[in-house]
Amino acid sequence: MTESSLGLEILQEVTRIANSTLDLDETLEKIIPVIKNKMHMDACAIYLINESDRLLHLKASMGLPDKAMHINLGIGQGVTGWVAQQGRSLALSEAMQDPRFVYFPEIEEEKFSSMLSVPILANCPPLGVINVHSIEKRVFSPEEISVLETIAGQVTGCLRNAIQFHRNQMTLKETRILYDISLAVQSTLKLEHGLWIILSAITMGEAGGFNRAMLFTLNEKNQRLQGIMGLGPDSQEDAVRVWTELNKKKGDLLQWVIKEAQRDLHRDSPFHNFVCGLSYPVTANDNILSETVLQKKPFNITKAKEHQLVSQEFIDALGVDSFATVPLIAHEEVLGVILVDNRYDQKPITEENLRFLTRFTVYASWVIENSRLFSKLLDTNRELLSMKEQLVQAERLSALGEMAAEVAHEIKNPLVSIGGFARRLKDKMTHLSQKWEDNNDLKSAANYSEIISSEVDRLERLLKNTLIYSKSGTLETEECQLNKLIEEVLYLFKSGLYEKNIHLVTDLQTDLPLLKLDQQKIKQVLINLFYNALESLSLGGLLKVETFQEEYAQKQKMITVRVEDTGGGIPQQVFENIFNPFFTTKHTGTGLGLSICRKIIENHGGTIRVENQLGKGVIVYLHLPLQNSPDYIKN
Amino acid sequence: MKTILVVDDEQNIRFLYKEELEDAGYKVSVAATGEEAFKKLKKQVPDLIILDIKMPGMDGIEVMRKIKDEKGDIPIILCSAYGQYKQDFRVWASDAYVVKSADLRELKLTIKEIFNQLKAG
Ligand SMILES: Nc1ncnc2c1ncn2[C@@H]1O[C@H](COP(=O)(O)OP(=O)(O)OP(=O)(O)O)[C@@H](O)[C@H]1O
Ligand SMILES: [Mg+2]
Repeated sequence: MTESSLGLEILQEVTRIANSTLDLDETLEKIIPVIKNKMHMDACAIYLINESDRLLHLKASMGLPDKAMHINLGIGQGVTGWVAQQGRSLALSEAMQDPRFVYFPEIEEEKFSSMLSVPILANCPPLGVINVHSIEKRVFSPEEISVLETIAGQVTGCLRNAIQFHRNQMTLKETRILYDISLAVQSTLKLEHGLWIILSAITMGEAGGFNRAMLFTLNEKNQRLQGIMGLGPDSQEDAVRVWTELNKKKGDLLQWVIKEAQRDLHRDSPFHNFVCGLSYPVTANDNILSETVLQKKPFNITKAKEHQLVSQEFIDALGVDSFATVPLIAHEEVLGVILVDNRYDQKPITEENLRFLTRFTVYASWVIENSRLFSKLLDTNRELLSMKEQLVQAERLSALGEMAAEVAHEIKNPLVSIGGFARRLKDKMTHLSQKWEDNNDLKSAANYSEIISSEVDRLERLLKNTLIYSKSGTLETEECQLNKLIEEVLYLFKSGLYEKNIHLVTDLQTDLPLLKLDQQKIKQVLINLFYNALESLSLGGLLKVETFQEEYAQKQKMITVRVEDTGGGIPQQVFENIFNPFFTTKHTGTGLGLSICRKIIENHGGTIRVENQLGKGVIVYLHLPLQNSPDYIKN
Repeated sequence: MKTILVVDDEQNIRFLYKEELEDAGYKVSVAATGEEAFKKLKKQVPDLIILDIKMPGMDGIEVMRKIKDEKGDIPIILCSAYGQYKQDFRVWASDAYVVKSADLRELKLTIKEIFNQLKAG
């Protein structure tokens, strides 16, 4: 067999093998014996340059001792290294005599005399080297050299395919991870949960596999980067525990992450709290984080100690010498920075890691931005809705107000006479019916006039409420005694309370300071409250009115009016609406009572609070500020 | 017996006030307009005047000013259908301001207080 036909035969075989599988390791394993046997060599080895450490790793061999499998050679180191560096073949009949030769005990090269070494070339630099060794000393013919070079070319093709395949696999994997993450993030509306899921993806094996991740957001107002989240084990032991756990979860990692995010447990982790305590200014040439923001690009720091922009303090705080930073960018705007490191397994951060992280943060930024937009949208929407509501209400009220004001004046005077005479009639009738006790006609007549006068009361109240409600909130205040005001109003309720069998208890603190109040309006508030209590106490009961001075938040002095009834309280669905204008459960009510109370009290700079004791009764608190209190200013 | 002059353009209101106040133990005379009030004042000066603000012709506030100018310090209570005059500083010259109501107890309470103050002062 001629050498060229031998070459052809080997090439055919190698090509067949190369095309039969996409798995690179398998291809190499199969090629090796073909080369060795067909070329009558004693050993054959294929080295490939590892992308991340740039060393020549022995990938497949035959005729070399087992321990050789672990050998990694530097580019330029030994004959193999030289070939990889130069990209040129080297045939040595007495290899050990060559000055480029370096002895590696693992390979037990002393057994061999001659070697041929050819580069696996794609372009410069080479992807690897193929070596053949023979024990017997020999001279390699140019044909032999060219056969091996051709095989190397074939291997290059395989490698390219394999790399392509690997890349496809990676993108496929990435796409899947991104898709999963997007599902996970969509499962929560809370930005915090979304971020946690993203950091989880970065730290939990599949996506990034970094040991720890920290998230900083840019505060535009004070131009600082503030740590807001940290994810990772707290110590070496913790790391081992977490990773063992994670390994067990493999299949449903995503589900686990989503569930975990909702538990908010990460807030308790010391590492998270450590990150939250970090804050750095965004200034040129100051620190690596701010540089990441300003230059809008990632940094892979391998020797932090020698890096100008990394302070010793920072290194001490992180406890690592290598880490990487990536900006979070959305719409050209930097939102923050993610910092990752491999503190616990000390794995170097490769370019590929970083590329993935960068691609990933694009997505993370998008999530943050989306969530911001979403919440902004919610806000705007809410604002619009309430504005619309307010407009409708304002329109309704101003129309109502104008009409009410006009009608009210025309109605008031006849109302006063009707009501006034009905009262007189009632008094007279009661008087008469007491005189003639057995005259039932007189009794019913007294009752009728009673009905007229109480209905007039209601009409008056309605008119007053509608008028107050429709008018602007300008107050006519003057100094007055709140207690006196209360007593005056209670005086008007005296007979009503008596008739309904309601026991009135008053406890008014005697030495209250004077208050600046709009007396008419405060009276209206009290009237509305007392009527509500009265109406709830249709079966009788207790009405308790108290005033007292108290200190609020330790310095704000307030006068409080407390109105308590035992009318059974308010059902929950009703309670949520009691302050809404026009909301009423009474067929005779306007539903303006409490909303007017609130309006008036708030115009006075005070607050109204309703304490609902279901099944028991209602307590209304009016808190009125003492006027000389400068730190209580309400618009 | 204390005398009170009620000035109001509504006949039924005048009637109501007269009945109620007489029951409360006062001597009551009435006038339907400012002009009529001045005629009555010339004959006899009451201890207190109740003035409706909103009246055709001379309104209650004008009447009050003229009375204060010509007759000096007779206590005056101004009345109106609603509290809308509260912010009118001209009302402040009166001794009291009462919002009209079918329930006259507030008015009567005010009258009593004014007389008590006069007695004390
Ligand atoms: N003290 C109370 N006890 C029980 N329910 C109450 C009490 N106060 C208010 N409510 C409930 O709150 C609702 C709203 O009260 P609000 O005073 O605003 O209007 P209203 O009393 O229904 O009408 P209006 O005051 O014009 O007569 C009432 O219809 C009633 O159901
Ligand atoms: Mg009410």
